[in-house]
Amino acid sequence: MKISTTEYFVSEVAHSLKRNNWMSVASIGTVAVSLFIFGMFLMLVMNLNKMVESLESQVQIQVYLRDDFSRESAKELEVDLKSMQGVEKVTFIPKEEAMEKFKERLGDQKTLLDALDETNPLPDSFEVMLIQPELVKTAAEAIERFEGVETAKYGQDVMEHLFDITRLIRIFGFALMLVLALATLFIIANTIRLTVFARRKEIAIMKYVGATDWFIRWPFVLEGMVMGLFGSIIASIMLRFTYSGIVAKIYSTLAFFPLIPEQPFLNYITVVVIIGGMIMGAIGSTVSIKRFLKV
Amino acid sequence: MIHMNDVMKVYDNGAVALNHVNVDIKKGEFVFLVGPSGAGKSTFIKMLLREVLPSSGILTVNGRDVIRMSTRDVPYLRRSLGVIFQDYRLLPDKTVYENIAFAMQVIEAPRRMMQRNVNNVLDIVGLRDKYKCFPNQLSGGEQQRVAIARAIVNNPAIVIADEPTGNLDPETSWGIMDIFKSINASGTTIVMATHDKTIVDAMQKRVIAIENGEIVRDEARGGYGYEN
Repeated sequence: MKISTTEYFVSEVAHSLKRNNWMSVASIGTVAVSLFIFGMFLMLVMNLNKMVESLESQVQIQVYLRDDFSRESAKELEVDLKSMQGVEKVTFIPKEEAMEKFKERLGDQKTLLDALDETNPLPDSFEVMLIQPELVKTAAEAIERFEGVETAKYGQDVMEHLFDITRLIRIFGFALMLVLALATLFIIANTIRLTVFARRKEIAIMKYVGATDWFIRWPFVLEGMVMGLFGSIIASIMLRFTYSGIVAKIYSTLAFFPLIPEQPFLNYITVVVIIGGMIMGAIGSTVSIKRFLKV
Repeated sequence: MIHMNDVMKVYDNGAVALNHVNVDIKKGEFVFLVGPSGAGKSTFIKMLLREVLPSSGILTVNGRDVIRMSTRDVPYLRRSLGVIFQDYRLLPDKTVYENIAFAMQVIEAPRRMMQRNVNNVLDIVGLRDKYKCFPNQLSGGEQQRVAIARAIVNNPAIVIADEPTGNLDPETSWGIMDIFKSINASGTTIVMATHDKTIVDAMQKRVIAIENGEIVRDEARGGYGYEN
């Protein structure tokens, strides 16, 4: 592209934004708000994914053995469990160890255990980790059928609800993000349409003297991209502050909540929002101008 | 320059705008297109610009096959044509100079050529001293001169004018015709649709009369032929 042409495009965009200043400001503001909501949901969905992943990785089956089951038979059972399909890890927890853990968990209240008179009512057990946490139910059922197994527990109800809810939030989040992306596109398309309409005579003259469609289109596409850029920069700044604020607030009360750390996450979100905003702007204006090029 | 062989144009609503039209216009000719309103003059002109695509037949303009040409090539066809309208179609927020330079700018003509060409055409249309004016500061005749300057600034082979004197008084119209004559004298082909009987009768140039989409008369040195 020639330097004089580039200059022409840049001055056209600057002129146009100035000429429709209130309209441009309003559009940039609306784009910023819708990209902000878009970004919030993107961050929410990504955090949920992270949360679900960390919960899923903790899903394990507690396999409690019958009291009369000997340690030798338990060794054999461990081999059997390890050879099961989809099993990642099997850990044997002798009843003594289970008791220690239980005491730890009771903390200050471990005097309660004095009532047991040094007897240990806890059974030997295995902790079974699965490669695919979704298969926890089938695996648990299979394990229960093994010789010597009393029960196999994994927090059935909680896990299943969790899977349902996260699936729902993911679908809803993605649908909402799609709608917001379309809204952004529509807002920019509409503003550019006004600009294009105001300059339809100019476009017709350009067509008559032999300007190519791309030459005519470029200033409008650039204008849309500039609006998308400004809107997304504002949205990114708001997103950074909001996320930092939320993270600080949550950590002050729930220190181990599995949130995605601010960096490099926020930079990643900023890049996505800015590129997304500019693409929406470019598509929006291309759509708007199409009809006016038919001369 | 312009060759039409058995050209038909039927619009989507079934209206026949041009019916079996055969025309040959050679380089350097000056052609008047006359006929009642709605006879097909506008369609004729729009076809030359490929604003309207013929339904059938052969149409070449400047050696380009207008019918088979791809949409991408249309701008290059139009660069070889200069168009002038009855309503001037100048950009109100640009000066005379900018309006003319605009035609060079949008086809990405080299900048060093711009000033020379614009000044040159301003001399041809006699508006050198008004180059800083905006269109609303000019008379109708002057605005049309700017439009002509814009049409010829890229040295087109053919100038197409659709009722260029339609909004002007007779005296001003003659000033416009003098400009067309001098453009034509330099070898540029001119096709002009008009309702102006006085001008056509006085100029004694080739006249093509269209009625109901058909060419009913094509005389080398004709008159207007209709009562005004």
